[in-house]
Amino acid sequence: MKTIVNIMKIIPFQRCGLMVALFLAVQSPAWAHAFLDHAQPQVGSTVTNSPTEVKIWFTQELEPAFSSIEVKNAQGKEVDKKDVHVDAKDKSLLIVSLPPLPAGKFTVAWHVVSVDTHRTQGHFEFTIK
Amino acid sequence: MKKIDSAFAVLKKQRRLLAVSGAAIVAAGFGTTTVQAHGFIGDRFFPPTIATDDPFATDELLLPSVSYLKSDGVATTDFGFEFDKEIFPKFAVGVSGDYLYQKPDGQSSVSGWDDFSLSAKYQLWENVPHEAIFSVGAEWDIGGSGSTEVGADSANVFTPTIYFGKGFGDLPDTLKYARPFALTGTLGEELPTSYADPNSLDWGIALEYSLPYLQSEVKNIGLPAPFKHMIPLVEFAMTTPENRGGGPTTGTINPGILYENNYFQIGAEAIIPVNSATGSQVGAIVQVQIYIDDLLPKLFGHPIFGK
Repeated sequence: MKTIVNIMKIIPFQRCGLMVALFLAVQSPAWAHAFLDHAQPQVGSTVTNSPTEVKIWFTQELEPAFSSIEVKNAQGKEVDKKDVHVDAKDKSLLIVSLPPLPAGKFTVAWHVVSVDTHRTQGHFEFTIK
Repeated sequence: MKKIDSAFAVLKKQRRLLAVSGAAIVAAGFGTTTVQAHGFIGDRFFPPTIATDDPFATDELLLPSVSYLKSDGVATTDFGFEFDKEIFPKFAVGVSGDYLYQKPDGQSSVSGWDDFSLSAKYQLWENVPHEAIFSVGAEWDIGGSGSTEVGADSANVFTPTIYFGKGFGDLPDTLKYARPFALTGTLGEELPTSYADPNSLDWGIALEYSLPYLQSEVKNIGLPAPFKHMIPLVEFAMTTPENRGGGPTTGTINPGILYENNYFQIGAEAIIPVNSATGSQVGAIVQVQIYIDDLLPKLFGHPIFGK
């Protein structure tokens, strides 16, 4: 433990903090790639009623023309209404509508481009009981 | 002094391998071209690891990296940097250096630059559905470019290396909570030009469990910030001498954690020597990775030639 304590004294964490602070000070909040922050239905969740929409909130604002969501059933058939759009007020929120769905497991696949042109993708599942 | 040299050699190697990653592959300018962000294979984000190099050939900036290791009464603190630039698509070259501060107990300190290194790396193969990548590269430690006071070698050392990465997002549903695991590794042959130094096999592995991957791909378990941005990992960075009386395998085991956000990564690891030939006390390393493609996207994040 003594060594660890000595290490903590020696390593100049303050320098790291200063670097980060300087970096953030000159950083436009619009830059960077978009990660999934949270979704509705939640990632990996089980819901009792068929949701009317899939909503995904990202960590960055999106380019609508290059951002998409596909919802597929267990047979791989796309079941969403193909009306994916970025929310008018919240540019980091991507939405696609759903028809009434039967019980089963569904896969949500998303591909987005953030406003600085970075492309990211991902997928998750939810279950209707 | 041999023990100290061994321990420091491992530390130095780790610093050199600190893969930095800033960066991504942004197409030039802000036209309609879209680009993959740095360190991604499909859904998987491979963070830049600390003690072992990652398999990505991208624009990267590591600044600063600060590590500390004490062995046999000599404390060595290493202030390092590395910068890599993508020249052609998936081919990058880099330069790295370390300023060393060595303080023996009860004696005055010495400090100076260690030998500088040049490197090149090419991403040879990728498999998106299986989150896999394989790269090849080489590093040249420029003999005589550092200060002899801190033990910089006068001989050149060439290290051809292979790199790999594998995410486990393709595991079946029954193992879904293992999907956030990923493995990266390196295997390099150290070839010194001096017959006084042994050839050595450098090998390293990083095993990580991505909490962001768990939250966004497997199940939202309600982790609050900052935990949902963290990636716990353990790294193994080893060197096995092969001839010329090079001694036993030396290396360290580094458990630690990475914190990610959109603009930078901060990582911290303990440095645990695997044997007495490596060192006798636990050290530590702290590293900041700046995503320079996000900071200066018109300058970085894309190759100089080609798209």
